[in-house]
Amino acid sequence: MASRTERIIKAARSNGQKTLSEYDSKRVLSAYGVPVSREVLVSSQSEAKAAVKKVKYPVVLKACSADEAHKTEKGLIAVNLASQSALIAAFKTLTKRAGKNYEGAFLVQEMVSGSREIMIGMHRDPSFGPAVMFGLGGIFTEILQDVTFRVAPLRKKDAREMLRSIRGHKILDAVRGMPAADLDILCHSLMAVGQVALDHPEIEEIDINPLIIRGSKAVAVDALIVLSDDEADGTSS
Amino acid sequence: MADVMEKFFEPKSVCVIGASSTPGKPGNVVVKNMRDAGYKGKVYLVNPRGGKIEGFKVYKSIEELPDNIDQAVVTLPATHTPETVRQLGAKGIKAIVLAASGFSEVDQVGEALQEELIAAIRESGVRVLGPNTTGHVSVPSSYTSSFFPLGEIPRGSVSYITQTGNFCGISLRHIMSAENFGIARSCGLGNKADLDECDLLEFYGADKETKSIFLYLESIKNPKRFLRVARRVSQDTPVFLLKGGASDAGAAAAVAHTGSLAADGRVVDGAIEQAGVTRLRKYSHLFQVAKALDAQSLPRGNRVSFLSPSGAFTVCLTDICRSLDLEVPDLEDKTCKRLQKFAPPFIRMRNPVDIFGSVGLVGYEKAYGDALDAVLADRNIDAVVVIMMLTTETGVPKMDFIVDLSKKYPSKPVYVTFMGEHKHNVAAKENLEPKGIPCYMLVEEPFEVLSLLASCRKKMPKR
Repeated sequence: MASRTERIIKAARSNGQKTLSEYDSKRVLSAYGVPVSREVLVSSQSEAKAAVKKVKYPVVLKACSADEAHKTEKGLIAVNLASQSALIAAFKTLTKRAGKNYEGAFLVQEMVSGSREIMIGMHRDPSFGPAVMFGLGGIFTEILQDVTFRVAPLRKKDAREMLRSIRGHKILDAVRGMPAADLDILCHSLMAVGQVALDHPEIEEIDINPLIIRGSKAVAVDALIVLSDDEADGTSS
Repeated sequence: MADVMEKFFEPKSVCVIGASSTPGKPGNVVVKNMRDAGYKGKVYLVNPRGGKIEGFKVYKSIEELPDNIDQAVVTLPATHTPETVRQLGAKGIKAIVLAASGFSEVDQVGEALQEELIAAIRESGVRVLGPNTTGHVSVPSSYTSSFFPLGEIPRGSVSYITQTGNFCGISLRHIMSAENFGIARSCGLGNKADLDECDLLEFYGADKETKSIFLYLESIKNPKRFLRVARRVSQDTPVFLLKGGASDAGAAAAVAHTGSLAADGRVVDGAIEQAGVTRLRKYSHLFQVAKALDAQSLPRGNRVSFLSPSGAFTVCLTDICRSLDLEVPDLEDKTCKRLQKFAPPFIRMRNPVDIFGSVGLVGYEKAYGDALDAVLADRNIDAVVVIMMLTTETGVPKMDFIVDLSKKYPSKPVYVTFMGEHKHNVAAKENLEPKGIPCYMLVEEPFEVLSLLASCRKKMPKR
């Protein structure tokens, strides 16, 4: 688990990347047990077509490269593609938008539906070390800033408390006909993110935003791992 | 470590370096303070001029002092301190309090001086409290190193760790003159050149004199250690913290959102929560909450009852309870029946208890006394606030029944607050507090205290 992550980080570094691509970020998180959306990395139309053997329609098509952190703003996401023709059309559009110099690939991703979006993050605090964040996700992250932090390593109790300590914690309850969110999955994911940071000092920050609660179970739909500037920086106290 | 902390808090002998015969000077006040506190250990004074100060013989130099002195209090100016620390270390004195200011809190020159001091501390193998500290207080040993005039400090079970001299100075004087509770230890951390909040917290946590710990911090010197130590200590001892100043941590990172959201002290907030420490938001809670814990036990939960002489209080204090996460639950049937016995039939007795009608029918003591007994006996109630209405015209009852009933139910806190004629309120407070009933001059205060205590109790699963 650790070695696979190290390989991913090392490859990114030798590429001169400051961040891991969405695909690689999720591979790291998934190795630690964070549930992520099913997806296939593709670089051609034919690969995209083949991908739907693994990922069932409707799918999402996204540009996936280390440089594309803000895909939505750049129009590099096409959602709810329900057929092969829609997928191919989207592939053409996104390729055009990404531009001639685009060297990244594309992700064919399952369409995770659910109306509750939350976020898990990690910030390396200069005093306390890795701090794990939990809060409302999607567009509400920045608008409401309803988030809470705990210092890694997290005990189960810490993770439980985090889930209850945001103002909007009732979003995890059984509301408006939706089942209560599976808290064990969330606790495990919070603890896992702390562990990723403890195991890999060269990871500076993590954003998993959003996690969509599908039914009762959270799934990471987008993720970003930021690497530290200094390769040797494995010591931040 | 425990040994040297004992030399700070239970010194058998102490020397004052820079003792002075000039009244008002720190080197003079500290000597008077030791005497006024009733310190029974040996006191040695050092001043190059020699002679006598406050009846004590004065030694001309540190070298002349006898061996095996437990502690030194240094009131010399900042520039002299590094050299003095070395001399004291050479003399075998391990515990040193440095009063002088003029270090890192002032300017770059002071910062350099503090670095020099830290080097002197490391090389001498001594432990230092300060510099820039008012000193510390240890009531079980009748000892203080404070240069703020204090007198005899009442003994209690509350201990302070503060990044201010106030709790060995003006705030301690407030406690001594207005709040009627006692303390065990108090320590002004100063610039934390050596000893910091973690060292003190660790010592207090193992200290049998200390039953609750209150911290005022503007910074945390070793955050990870603080988290570890506080988590352990707070399992058995209530720990409260007022954190002053916004955190400077969490510089916004451009790439990920989490970094920018880590601003505004959010990481510190989370860490304090994780440490099992109860956060205070008001300075006065440093003594309002402490007073409650010195006199009475931690409530088992957040379910309160209160006796009110005013309908408005029953309404608006219930609102306040709700905002403070306190429950005002229904009483048991038998409690309601008992309350109804002394009440006019048109008042339906329940929680909160509207006591005005009963007072009119059976008098103060009987109405309040029986109602207090009833709600304290109620299994749905963890703590009770008694709101007294005291005016010359309506009468001022004897209040010993409150003391007696509080003793009858030792696991359930009883606090008193007032509305009425100020002089009677003050007199009642002066009467009740020394008998173990915490009193609060403003009606919201006892509820704020109970809310903080309930939240503290929740963090202590072992209790």
